Amino acid sequence: MTASKHGLRISATTEAAEQAGLRLDMPLADARAIYPSLTVETADPENDAAALHRLALWCRRYSPWTTVHAPDGIAIEITGCAHLFGGEIKLLSDLEGRLRAFGLTARLAVAPTIGGAWAAARHAVDSPCVVTSSELRKFLARLPVASLRLDEALIDDLSMVGMKQIHDLLGKPRAPLAARFGPQLLQLLDRALGNEDETFHPLTPASSYYAERRFAEPIFTMTAIERAIARLAQDLADRLVEAGKGARRVELDLFRVDGWVERLTVRTGTLCREADHLSRLFRERLDRIGSEFDAGFGFDVIILSAFDIETFVAAQDVLQADVARTADPRTLARLMDRLINRFGARSVTRFAPQASHIPERAVQPTPLTEKQRNSDWTMHLRSLPDGVQLDRPLLLLSPPEPVTALSEVPDGPPIRFVWNQVAHRVARADGPERISPEWWLHPAGENRRTRDYYRVEDETGRRFWLFRSGLYERDDAEPHWFIHGVFA
Amino acid sequence: MRNEPQGIGSFRSPSSHRYQPASPLADADLQTLRRRIRALSTTDTANPEATVALGDDAIDGALPDRGLTLGAVHEFLPASRDDFAATLGFGFGLLVRLLRSRPGPVLWAAPSREIFRNGAAYPLGLAAFGFDPGRLHYLTVEEAKDVLWSMEEALASGALAGAIGILPAKDKSYDFTASRRLSLRAASSGVTAFLIRHHTSADKPTAAVTRWSIAARQSAPVWRHGLPMPGLGPPRWRANLVRCKRGQPRSWLVEWNHETFSFRMASPLAHRMPAAAGTAITQSADQRRMAS
Repeated sequence: MTASKHGLRISATTEAAEQAGLRLDMPLADARAIYPSLTVETADPENDAAALHRLALWCRRYSPWTTVHAPDGIAIEITGCAHLFGGEIKLLSDLEGRLRAFGLTARLAVAPTIGGAWAAARHAVDSPCVVTSSELRKFLARLPVASLRLDEALIDDLSMVGMKQIHDLLGKPRAPLAARFGPQLLQLLDRALGNEDETFHPLTPASSYYAERRFAEPIFTMTAIERAIARLAQDLADRLVEAGKGARRVELDLFRVDGWVERLTVRTGTLCREADHLSRLFRERLDRIGSEFDAGFGFDVIILSAFDIETFVAAQDVLQADVARTADPRTLARLMDRLINRFGARSVTRFAPQASHIPERAVQPTPLTEKQRNSDWTMHLRSLPDGVQLDRPLLLLSPPEPVTALSEVPDGPPIRFVWNQVAHRVARADGPERISPEWWLHPAGENRRTRDYYRVEDETGRRFWLFRSGLYERDDAEPHWFIHGVFA
Repeated sequence: MRNEPQGIGSFRSPSSHRYQPASPLADADLQTLRRRIRALSTTDTANPEATVALGDDAIDGALPDRGLTLGAVHEFLPASRDDFAATLGFGFGLLVRLLRSRPGPVLWAAPSREIFRNGAAYPLGLAAFGFDPGRLHYLTVEEAKDVLWSMEEALASGALAGAIGILPAKDKSYDFTASRRLSLRAASSGVTAFLIRHHTSADKPTAAVTRWSIAARQSAPVWRHGLPMPGLGPPRWRANLVRCKRGQPRSWLVEWNHETFSFRMASPLAHRMPAAAGTAITQSADQRRMAS
């Protein structure tokens, strides 16, 4: 039941409730009068929508072209798919049987147009019902105007002038209808009749390169799933090779018998159409999911689809044959694919130089999955002042950690410092190297203290990179010491 | 036996006497036999002679095949908690020498907790070793077993020039079996692996070809007029070769030469200025430590 401005009303019923005489949109008080011991639940439209979405995903087992017709419908484009199930009738009965097994009551219909199927599913007398294109017009004529997906207000307007069935609209001149009820009415009528095309927006983009397997007995052991994936990968790779294409993204849909869909995505850095690489990526992904992977009562349909398709340059194949294994750039790309697949998109980074003299900003780490910046380090190092990299640490702490340091003279190197509760007595020191803030980047005044860097070595030979933040004479606050890195 | 450079402690375990030719076999026969055994065990190393020289005759001469074996696993242990950077520096110096003869990228795998604790590799600092940071693929993972997995895959693929893996404290996943797996893959692809282990890790045998224990030592002071404190000399490490396949444990005091990108013996005689006295004291303290 839901709350409306007319009080609490029934928004959904069970079959038993309907037999007792309860109807949709009935005030709750009336319903209670008819059946005093009625069990009432508050409607939860958000969860209903989520469940419908999940069910629609599961429906992709029949066709990749599947979408949700909110709030209560799912549309599946089965053109070219029905024969896989032995015809439309058989497909419908298969679907009906499975839905009933989930405990769902559904009204099913097949029609040549989206509008026609929408109308047939909601307003046809019997379910499931199949409407052929020759009888579509006749079939629609007998249905109420509400089957045209019209607004409530428009339905009311039509019924006021006595137009209750689609039949009443069919023979009428179009211009007065459009003038009186707006263009929407005629558009929806044309779409239902198939006089105007309607675009189907699938829930997930469908790929023209895919491979699928259906199993009479659901499979649930990891070995069986892996074997199935390997065969699917081979099918898909064959298809891609035949078309001269490669993919950068491949998705695996595992349809569980109980209506859940497990979806795994792998991405590759280069165009891929190698079956063993693909199946290995998926195998490692499954391996990574490990115990969290829930096969439930098993999977009965597995679909592997390729996305981000591009034409494969054939020269790459030829090159690979006569160049040694180390020189093949694809071996590296495959390795990186697998590392990223296992440890996440941001796990592998490369470093690009950046024009900044602030140590933490001089290097730009970029995940391998993102567009790589210019990484010509040779040129960059040449542009730096002579030997500046010799004064840079092997390991950089970010952010710099505060240390307590003691120096003999205000502007001199520290003679002692304590880091991580360990005291170090400084025996050698180089510096200072003064690094001024980039005032043109931080106009707000934050982070605007000059740093004086020292390379120091303690009595045991460990080397550290310390800096004093702030100047004695100029800044108001007392300068602070930080450790920014460790040298070898 | 080779002459040791003056002032350097020599580290030799008593068990090494085993290798003295006490048997009736002549030395030449033994050599032939060794070569035949090596030829038979083809799975161990594809090309056992492929090595990279450290750049110092004394060290290279003590290593089998005059250098660090390529296509194998090498372990580096910090002598103490604070020697991690020194150990990494020594290992990285070796890697840089290896990279000069082998093109291709480098994988650096480290658990995120270790990166947080010790700091992240800083490309400009790596460039100081003569390394092109553009070759680096930096992998951040969660656990030690992820480091080993990625190292194994990296070694098997053969697409790399080398791989560095950092293992955390209390790691149980790296054992003999794991090291053997890494070694076999390294041998088949020729990629060399460097494992930086934790200083607390147990001294158990593994399939690694060498195991080094590295400690930082005070560098040679660089005196400059008018400054209260001497400047830093080239980094100096006490490098203990703890385990070495077909070789014997040794110990050297080495320096990294950032001009030739090679290792050299730290020679106390090179500094005749007042600092020489200070260095000598460090040396003898060092020897005392070795002797105990």
